[in-house]
Amino acid sequence: MSHTDHAASFPEPATRVPEDDDPVAACPYCDRPFQGEHARDLHVGEAHDPTPEERDRYEAALDVERDDLWLFHARAVIGLGVTYTATVILYMAVLGSGIV
Amino acid sequence: MTDGDEKRDPSAGVVDRTLSSVRRAGRQTGRHAGLATLALVALTGTARAHSGSLGGAVTSATVPTWLTVLTGGVVVGASFLFTTLLTDHEAMRAVNWWRAGLPSPPGVWRVVRGGVGALAVVALAAVVAIGLVGPTTPTRNLALLVVWAGWWAGYTISTYLVGNTWPAVNPWRALAAGVGRVLGRARSEVRSSLPERWGVWPSVVGLLALVYVEVVSPIGQNPRLLAAVIVGYSVVTVAGAVRYGAAWFDRVDPVSRVFAAYGRVAPLQRDEDGLSLRVPGTALTDEPLGERPGETAFVVALLWVTTYDGLVATPTWANAVEPVVSVGVPALLVYVLVLVAGFGLFLGVYRLASRRVRDSAETYVTATEIERWFAPALLPIAAGYHLAHFLGYFLALSPALAAVVANPLAPPETVALVLPSWFSTFRLLCVLGGHVLAVWVAHSLAFELFPGVLAAIRSQFPSVVVMIFYTMTSLWVITQPYVPPPFV
Repeated sequence: MSHTDHAASFPEPATRVPEDDDPVAACPYCDRPFQGEHARDLHVGEAHDPTPEERDRYEAALDVERDDLWLFHARAVIGLGVTYTATVILYMAVLGSGIV
Repeated sequence: MTDGDEKRDPSAGVVDRTLSSVRRAGRQTGRHAGLATLALVALTGTARAHSGSLGGAVTSATVPTWLTVLTGGVVVGASFLFTTLLTDHEAMRAVNWWRAGLPSPPGVWRVVRGGVGALAVVALAAVVAIGLVGPTTPTRNLALLVVWAGWWAGYTISTYLVGNTWPAVNPWRALAAGVGRVLGRARSEVRSSLPERWGVWPSVVGLLALVYVEVVSPIGQNPRLLAAVIVGYSVVTVAGAVRYGAAWFDRVDPVSRVFAAYGRVAPLQRDEDGLSLRVPGTALTDEPLGERPGETAFVVALLWVTTYDGLVATPTWANAVEPVVSVGVPALLVYVLVLVAGFGLFLGVYRLASRRVRDSAETYVTATEIERWFAPALLPIAAGYHLAHFLGYFLALSPALAAVVANPLAPPETVALVLPSWFSTFRLLCVLGGHVLAVWVAHSLAFELFPGVLAAIRSQFPSVVVMIFYTMTSLWVITQPYVPPPFV
């Protein structure tokens, strides 16, 4: 009798806006401030019950996320490849394979 | 490294040594090609095959310590990059929130709890009695073996590999309840309360003090002294628990808090639904640490004291302390200063990283909030390091422990269990396993804190740097040969 429908109840995190900063956006439901509309739109879509207009904005923000994430993942995969190769070459050098 | 190091068996001759030196004996052979197998199985496999088949024509290659340590850092960094590919929040929750309910009828539970508690009180009395009058040979004394091998090593391992049973076992809880009854007070009646603003800081101080006493005093070898320390601890704990009630075990007693913290890593969890089985470590993703002052500091202290315990037994430490003590600084002062300064450094690094998250994730969430949000991810690191540190010690001494428990007053001579040579590799894997689990926990928690995917990923950059720092520190300590802590 296993299940995964347990909903962990995460509290709304405490926030602090620096004095010389003007928050660009805030959540209309819970007043949480955000440094950009992008993060606010995502938050509203994820954490609240959005109006149709907010849902459109949420989906637009998700599209932007998808593009940025693709770029990030490309970098991550290249990073993994470079790290792997560098480690192999380092081991070859240290263990004296005779190739390096 | 030398061949001599490699051949020195981690547990050979264990029974001849004092317990405290045995405690770190398992660490001695970590210097050779441990991590090579992890990162580059094929490569090292070839190197070994060559040296084997050519029978000495090719000299066997060993991985230097710095490369072992560096590889550890690379593995943690790479596992973070790999985790960033997992961005399906619902799928992550499916893993993290999976649970299988286990039957736990309240009636049976109460009986088991009462029985275990009574048994623990008897065991405590036996430990103190045998500590005072039993044999003084460390490996034949019940008190030393039960406390260090059975409890500090073995029982602690069970709290994060199985589940935290300490609230039921804790003999001081039962004793305090008994004393309370004798004084004619109801269980819930509490005479006074600790100031709220202290939070759980008393337990942080208690943990540092406990480890300090463990390192600098001979309670690892002297059963009489150990019994005296246990009696002292019992008096303080029972008095505290009678005066402050359950808050004592929740906010002051470092032992209960250590087990509670480790218990969150375990697969067996107790919550409002009763007993349940979870994927190990996933209970850490349920919620951030509490808001009381000192919660984060306690987790960082737990991580630091395990490192400190190993650090003071390295040749580097001995070489560094010698000149300081020779100019007249008391050795005990040096030990306490490094204990406190190291804790400050670990906490400072973690706080700095939390502050940096505000920039990397472009968020207004406060640094304090970020600290306590990600702190559960440090617990698998502490558990992995504890396992690497103590599993070999526990296994090596388990025959002696069994013999002494069977015949406490006149135990037969026993031999220590000799661990296979691959055990040192296994120890390095424990450290790395803890860190990789920590990366997953931090990743999961980040998704609960920040909206979207990219902010959650970026928020982990500073903590990954910190984890790499912790991994490399732990691996360096674990690969050092054992030297008894000097001047104490």
